[in-house]
Amino acid sequence: MDSTLASRHLLAESYLRAAQYDRAIALFEDLLARSPGNSFVADRLREAYEAVKRYDDAIALLDARLAGPESRTVLLAERARLTWLKGDEAGAHADWDRALAAEPGQPGAFLAVYRSLLQVRLFDRAIEVLESGRTSLGNPELFRTDLAQLYGLAGRYGDAMAEYLSLLDQGDHQLAFVRNRLQTLLEQPEAIDAAISAAERSVRAKPLGRANRELLAWLYLEADRFGDALDAFRALDRLERQEGVMLQAFALQAMDSGAFGAALDAFGEVIQRYPDAPSAADSRYGLGTLYERRASGRTDSTRSSDFVLAVEAYSAFAGLHPGHPSIADALYRAARIRLDELGQLDAAESMLAHVAQRFPGTPAADASAFDLGRLDLARGRLAAARVHFTRLADRLRSGELAEAARLELAQLHFYRGEFDAAKAIAESMKENTAADVSNDAIALKVLLVEARGPDSLDSALRGYARALLLERQRKAPEALSTLDSLLAALPEHALADDVTYRRAALLDQVGRPADAVAALLEFPLVYPKSPLADRALDRAADLQADRLGDAQGAVETLSRLLSEYPGSLLAAEARNRLRRLRGDAL
Amino acid sequence: MSPRVLLLSLLVLGSASGAVRAQDLLIPMDESQEDHLKAYGVAYWVLERGIVVDWLLNHRGGSFLVPAEPEVERELRVRGVSFEPLSADRSARILADIAREDSNMDTVRLEKPPRIAVYAPDQTLPWDDAVLLALTYAEVPHEMIYDDEILDGRLDDYDWLHLHHEDFTGQYGKFFNYRSTAWYVEQQRDAEETARRRGYRKVSELKSAVVETIRSYVGSGGFLFAMCSGTDTFDIAQAARGVDIVPAEYDGDPVDPDAMQRLDFERTFAFRGFSPIFNAREYEHSDIDMGPPPPQLRSPALDYFTLFEFSAKWDPVPTMLTQNHVSTVKGFVGQTTNFRKALVKEDVVMLAEAPGRGEVRYLHGTYGEGTFTFYGGHDPEDYQHFVGDPPTDLSLHKHSPGYRLILNNVLFPAAKKKKQKT
Repeated sequence: MDSTLASRHLLAESYLRAAQYDRAIALFEDLLARSPGNSFVADRLREAYEAVKRYDDAIALLDARLAGPESRTVLLAERARLTWLKGDEAGAHADWDRALAAEPGQPGAFLAVYRSLLQVRLFDRAIEVLESGRTSLGNPELFRTDLAQLYGLAGRYGDAMAEYLSLLDQGDHQLAFVRNRLQTLLEQPEAIDAAISAAERSVRAKPLGRANRELLAWLYLEADRFGDALDAFRALDRLERQEGVMLQAFALQAMDSGAFGAALDAFGEVIQRYPDAPSAADSRYGLGTLYERRASGRTDSTRSSDFVLAVEAYSAFAGLHPGHPSIADALYRAARIRLDELGQLDAAESMLAHVAQRFPGTPAADASAFDLGRLDLARGRLAAARVHFTRLADRLRSGELAEAARLELAQLHFYRGEFDAAKAIAESMKENTAADVSNDAIALKVLLVEARGPDSLDSALRGYARALLLERQRKAPEALSTLDSLLAALPEHALADDVTYRRAALLDQVGRPADAVAALLEFPLVYPKSPLADRALDRAADLQADRLGDAQGAVETLSRLLSEYPGSLLAAEARNRLRRLRGDAL
Repeated sequence: MSPRVLLLSLLVLGSASGAVRAQDLLIPMDESQEDHLKAYGVAYWVLERGIVVDWLLNHRGGSFLVPAEPEVERELRVRGVSFEPLSADRSARILADIAREDSNMDTVRLEKPPRIAVYAPDQTLPWDDAVLLALTYAEVPHEMIYDDEILDGRLDDYDWLHLHHEDFTGQYGKFFNYRSTAWYVEQQRDAEETARRRGYRKVSELKSAVVETIRSYVGSGGFLFAMCSGTDTFDIAQAARGVDIVPAEYDGDPVDPDAMQRLDFERTFAFRGFSPIFNAREYEHSDIDMGPPPPQLRSPALDYFTLFEFSAKWDPVPTMLTQNHVSTVKGFVGQTTNFRKALVKEDVVMLAEAPGRGEVRYLHGTYGEGTFTFYGGHDPEDYQHFVGDPPTDLSLHKHSPGYRLILNNVLFPAAKKKKQKT
């Protein structure tokens, strides 16, 4: 090519890139006329023709080259694509057929036609071409990833999955690639069921294939099918001789997802099958955590039986694995459940003391010391409780547990009628309104400021403090009696609304929910300006709905709350509750 | 005459309209309202029960006046919507005040709840739809329809149609960078399947048919409301009927070489003289959209638009559409954000603009016996809503002025047409 021709060529190229197709075409036509056999120029001219939709001219260029030495398959596949774009669908299909027939027995021919079809998004025909290529070439391994991608594009997820599974036959190292490709596919809801079915078939066909089973287990987890995932992990665990490690890992994953049944089965199986393996120790501890978590989410009678099971699991773990790093935590958890949930104070005390002495300096020991203080308080040993809380607050100085210990100290002084001391401690606490402890401290301070008097001995507040202590000591009838006496003696006292509200709570505790509701419904009538008035109605509605089964009554009470206290902080939740109770779709 | 046309007869109320109710509830829509968005839902709920609602244009932010029925009062409380009981005398004084010739207020009677359709695919796409969010939060009943329902003639079942982040040019939103993601692949496959099933070779041809059906729906009295790319792509598709403006990356073949010359701006609703963008990788359909504000203003704290004020008595429709408790609304960005003012047709009413930037945010016009309203931007309470962002929680934006503009449109078709003052 001389320099003039070269510069004309460059100019034509620049016109093409600048989308000045008419100018590009004129130059390329001229260049092609000067060197008719130049396939590079012919391709560029064809490109320019296509850009301005001169399909017939583009096809004519190809036809001129079909008689030459170039691959007929590639030219015919391109001719078919242009014919399709021209709108001649039958002619296009005929060209694709001709392209396939041009070089029979060559995988490249099928690939050329498939790529041409892909460009015009004719996925079904492209699939047919590759499938027929496999058959006619007698090699089912051909076009594996191309077909998998095509099946996915066409929504044939089961077939796509079958191709990916076949890739796994080439070796377990393909698993990461397959999972990566499937990740995108599985975002489509229909895909996961199809993928699981295909993977299940594959596992049945090749039961010893590790990668297939691992893929199936992963798919089950993606679909939240934890029962099936358990079976898959069980099989994998045995296949790999993992002695429960995979099962235990699965159990933790299932537990975190709230699939307690599957987690329970997995933990149980590890413990039963590999009782002496390290995974059994972790599973025994996991079992306690599982029962505890499940119990915490329950409100019915199974709650306490689950807590009993949790204590048994933690105790079994502690007995069998005394050297395990989680031993202090397990013992503390068991003790706390006994204290707060099962009312087994003696057993709780013994375990808490054990943890505090045996594992000093651990978070479990600190928490045990705190709970020992609470336990002393509940048993009326206020001086001992004070020692526990003081030591803990002094030692830890800062942090949530230290602040909780300080609040307990303030409350201890309050119960003993040492109101100035109680107020001083509460005022020294950090104000962090996001923390429950801080909010309780603020409430105590407000009470101590507003409810003293009228006599110099603060008799009313002392009586109220005594009742609250009795309530903490689980002596609800005595607390109720104390509040009744207080109310009878000082009905106009600033504390009267607090006393009445607390009294309603105690009525419920002693098994008189209907009386509690009556007291709460009456509350706003007697104390319309009390900051507890809206809360009384809210609590009444709770009891009506949950304890008395009176949904209609609860709706009326919540309506009353919204009507009488429209600005209440409880209004938003009251609205939602009311609407749920009346069956609105929210 | 279609029911929609009947509904569009606005009725003169006030002192001349006869007896005043014994006692009413005023739902204020000024700063005192606890939940502006749910107030629209209650108004709709009242209409559903066959009770009329008076929309007091420009009175305390566009308040509603409803009869003081116990069930209405209860529902207002349950939904957390502020209201004020009015004596008969107080009601009459407010209405008389509104009717005064020298006040820029008016009363529009709402009589029938409009039947609402939202144009959206079954497929879950990774972005929210502000209108769906508004309707759901306000508890306004609505149905979802898409291409098949529209081509099957189902639009006649509805008074109001909403289009959101749709691409009527058949370029799948020009989300070229997302073309390998599952949602894009599914969207493209579903659209191609529908096109083939309906006898179209390309998705752009399917969408063009859908646009034509919507166009005739509006022409015969339908109310069209569109947001974000549902606005400009609708007009682009109308102008490009029979012209290939879709780059090869989206439909396999290049745009028509004479595409620009063949655009027919007589067919469009709101815009004329625009230029489609043929670059497949540019996330923009045409020069109608002026895009996000300049970088120095691209901040929720600085970007805003202002609502125009109209004569309530002479221009009740634009007044209804711009009812709000504020006159300045914070801006928000979308694939289509602001319309280029120079490209807006002369007979289109501009309702809101970004001041000093030659941009229109919100506009309204008529076509045949129906109307259209275009509102730029994606989500009024999410300044830049990116693909994959979670939907906005409207319970945190109960007073959103931007969302109020959407809900004005929802109630607007419930109004009875008033005889024009002479």
